[in-house]
Amino acid sequence: MAGAAEQQIHRDPALFYWILLPITVVMVLTGILRHYLSTLLQTAPKRLPLPKIREQRSLLRSANLRMNYAQISPAAFQKRREWWIESARDGKFLADPDARGKGKPNPMSDPAMMEGMMGMMKGNVAMMVPQSLIMGWINAFFSGYVIMKLPFPLTPQFKQMLQAGVGTRDLDVRWVSSLSWYFLTLFGLQPVYNFILGSNNAANQVTQQMAQSQVNPMGGAEDPEKIFNAEAENLEVVEHYYILDGVEDRLLERLQGTV
Amino acid sequence: MANPLLEAPTNSSPATAIDLSQKASTFINSQSSWLSAIPYPLSLFINTESQEKWQTYENLFLACLRTGDDNTAYACLESLTNRFGKGNDRILGLQGLYKESTAKNDSELAEVLKEYEEILKNDPTIFSIRKRRAAVLRSMGRTSDAVTALTNLLDQSPTDAEAWSELADLYLMLGSYEQAIFCLEEVVLVMPNSWNMQARTGEVLYLSSEKLEGADQLRLLSESMRRYCRSLELCDDYLRGYYGLKLTTDRLLELLSTGKKSQQSSSDPVKGDLAPPSIDAVKKLNELATSKLTEIVRRSKSGEKGWDGYSEAEIIAARELLDRGTQKIER
Repeated sequence: MAGAAEQQIHRDPALFYWILLPITVVMVLTGILRHYLSTLLQTAPKRLPLPKIREQRSLLRSANLRMNYAQISPAAFQKRREWWIESARDGKFLADPDARGKGKPNPMSDPAMMEGMMGMMKGNVAMMVPQSLIMGWINAFFSGYVIMKLPFPLTPQFKQMLQAGVGTRDLDVRWVSSLSWYFLTLFGLQPVYNFILGSNNAANQVTQQMAQSQVNPMGGAEDPEKIFNAEAENLEVVEHYYILDGVEDRLLERLQGTV
Repeated sequence: MANPLLEAPTNSSPATAIDLSQKASTFINSQSSWLSAIPYPLSLFINTESQEKWQTYENLFLACLRTGDDNTAYACLESLTNRFGKGNDRILGLQGLYKESTAKNDSELAEVLKEYEEILKNDPTIFSIRKRRAAVLRSMGRTSDAVTALTNLLDQSPTDAEAWSELADLYLMLGSYEQAIFCLEEVVLVMPNSWNMQARTGEVLYLSSEKLEGADQLRLLSESMRRYCRSLELCDDYLRGYYGLKLTTDRLLELLSTGKKSQQSSSDPVKGDLAPPSIDAVKKLNELATSKLTEIVRRSKSGEKGWDGYSEAEIIAARELLDRGTQKIER
């Protein structure tokens, strides 16, 4: 294979109408179906009970204090820090003060946690079922031959990607098999969905999976008391400086040139 | 400039609010185009949703309520309710707002308040309603009740900057400066880069310094001045910041030139307070503020491009402050 003479394969034009087009249309339709399916299966996020909200936001307040301490005077900072650490040590922020010292709760015993996992399962099912069905369909009907030719040359590395299901070594990389076309549409239709369904759609499973891999379903069940103790320690070691210290000189330096 | 329909209209001037509410009917008509009239199975393929659309609806609702166009406001509220359902937190808050503003007298307002309490009894986690309740209590004149409501809310949700600043306002109304300053410090902790809150802290510090004498006054006044400086550091052309800077530096110059002795005692290293600024720096800052205020007043009066965003009342106040300064020199 010198590559000088271009490979010529005579394709039946019906391939285009009966394979390329149907695969594309089916992929778009499944995307839309997936979008509406996951919208239907979505459960509204459960309301947190009030003590839990208080626990979370108190923690957030301390984090704010730790990050933005420079904004307030040393005296004010000291006052807040002492108050927060003392309250945290006493467990005043905890949602469930009786459960102190019992260690990490089992995620399986918590009904709210179970519900979260169920929701995730449902989402996964909505992703996986249509995907595997269509892949089986394509494999059964259309595998084993090329359906189109790309209008530009490519390096041989793309062979695996573009000619899945076709075991011909000498075939030019520009020929695309039906199974590969399926994969290309699977990953490349996001802009089309954005156009049809609006930008925050649930049609593309790849983005969905990426979003899911970021949240660990088991991770939320840390013992809150430990978190508070760690936060108190972090707060204790903060070395304070005041942003208003010398601000007049900074301002003068910056603005005197402009006026 | 950003689309005025998408900006929350809470801080806009009355003129913009009227302008917005006049756009309301055109906007609502434009929403019912042929796209949304497609029959059911086909409508699944087309999406007319966007966050901007509903943001616009909400802003128009608020603008219409402000200008008294209750019918259009109701239409906006209807579409929002249809979309998000009656139980939505935000919708509940907006509905309450509508009822409040259409209430004609205090007894009707009390009726609304009772409704809020009914909702909160079922679910105390709806913060929008809790905030509305505090606001109604305030507008009915029950300030101490409003303070209690807000302190309760802030105990449960201590990172709510909106509630903190409302509480600061209430304390200021009651004359408890120290508490007001505490609340404002909390706001600044949540939003460290908001220049308006920095300046607001400066304002309250300035007010509270008027009540004191000697070293304490000097301390608060210099802190107030520094707050204004910080605010200007964050936002170069902030009129209120320059106004406050001029006001505080005027006072500081008086104090520093008369009482040299009190200066020593106030810089107490144990408390960690900053020493009062040098008289040189204060003088320079005063000059800076004066020249900048003059520039802003002049330019915005002649309507130069890029200088026309200032509110008229603030410009007038700034002019008045400048005039006061020049009169003193003439005398």
